[in-house]
Amino acid sequence: MASRNSSSDAQLEFVLEVPFPSQREASIALQALSPDQEPRRRGITKTLGASACTLSAKWTADEARILRVSVGSFLDHLALVIETMDVFGQPVLQ
Amino acid sequence: MTVVIGFEGSANKIGIGIVRDGEVLSNPRRTYITPPGQGFLPSETAKHHRSVILTVLQEALDEAGLKPADVDCVAYTKGPGMGAPLVIVALVARTVAQLWEKPLVGVNHCIGHIEMGRLVTGARNPTVLYVSGGNTQISNDPSPGYNIEQMAKKGKQYVELPYTVKGMDVSFSGILSYIEEVAHKMLSSGQCSAEDLCFSLQETVFSMLVEITERAMAHCGSQEVLIVGGVGCNLRLQEMMGVMCEERGAQLFATDERFCIDNGAMIAQAGWEMFRVGQTTELADSWITQRYRTDEVDVAWRD
Repeated sequence: MASRNSSSDAQLEFVLEVPFPSQREASIALQALSPDQEPRRRGITKTLGASACTLSAKWTADEARILRVSVGSFLDHLALVIETMDVFGQPVLQ
Repeated sequence: MTVVIGFEGSANKIGIGIVRDGEVLSNPRRTYITPPGQGFLPSETAKHHRSVILTVLQEALDEAGLKPADVDCVAYTKGPGMGAPLVIVALVARTVAQLWEKPLVGVNHCIGHIEMGRLVTGARNPTVLYVSGGNTQISNDPSPGYNIEQMAKKGKQYVELPYTVKGMDVSFSGILSYIEEVAHKMLSSGQCSAEDLCFSLQETVFSMLVEITERAMAHCGSQEVLIVGGVGCNLRLQEMMGVMCEERGAQLFATDERFCIDNGAMIAQAGWEMFRVGQTTELADSWITQRYRTDEVDVAWRD
């Protein structure tokens, strides 16, 4: 859910929680998705973490447009990682 | 026995190759071809790579007759190149490296070209000319440079074009803006044909490349030349470089389009060299980078 801080800098925040079938898969996803820097470094921050079976992603951004681009891109990348685990994860991820 | 799988996707080619101790077991590749007159842009290229990468990965394993357990190391292009496609490829490489519990090796794309060139040709310590196309503004099927090459073969008249070499540096911006200005006039006045322009362009640009290669050889006392990169497929370039080499008593090495053009096996081969001297990449350090100088790489596998 995106929300604005009540403070005057009016930053947007967005939090995403992605459940995985196991802690290992959440960890694999985190380590695949976290190394690359955001292409646009000003006006947006993204923080990734994993706890138990959940991958979490938290954004702060100055503008909705910038936030949308980053979240959209993250979801595309997340989908690719998940599909890769589906196709090439057997029998490792039984 | 050391088996390395390599992932390449820094420009419009996506390739995944498997190498076992100097033998290329598989090297499937797909090329993102844009409509005529258009170059390839990062986000579209990334979409293309994303749509085929898992299919190509399966092909690489199937053609090599291997299972993931048979792979010892996962190599991928860390850079240089276009950011969005580099990320797509790195994501899959990082994921399978973790799934299969194999070490990861981040490879410099240019080093990949060089190491595959050395493997295929047997050149020991060559001066390397790495010459690559990227994109240009004419028909893109099969590739702009190939089309220029075919037209150039039919050219008869040499037209003088700007030639810019300063020491070890070349510049193509002068020749490009000159052609943009005068080509239309020259063609419509019948002064020369498009084939003549292509021919003249090649003669000029390739002469510049031969000049700087010769200068590098003189500086380093080198008697071997290796041409890598997509433009290395060009027969006229190979011919001109061959003439210079013969005059110096040096040897010319060139590869064919399987390895001149970006491919996964070249990344696997460079990865193989790096892995064997213990140069692996921690996941946290496996970020891709658009700028990655060839001379930044610690070539620990060679004296």
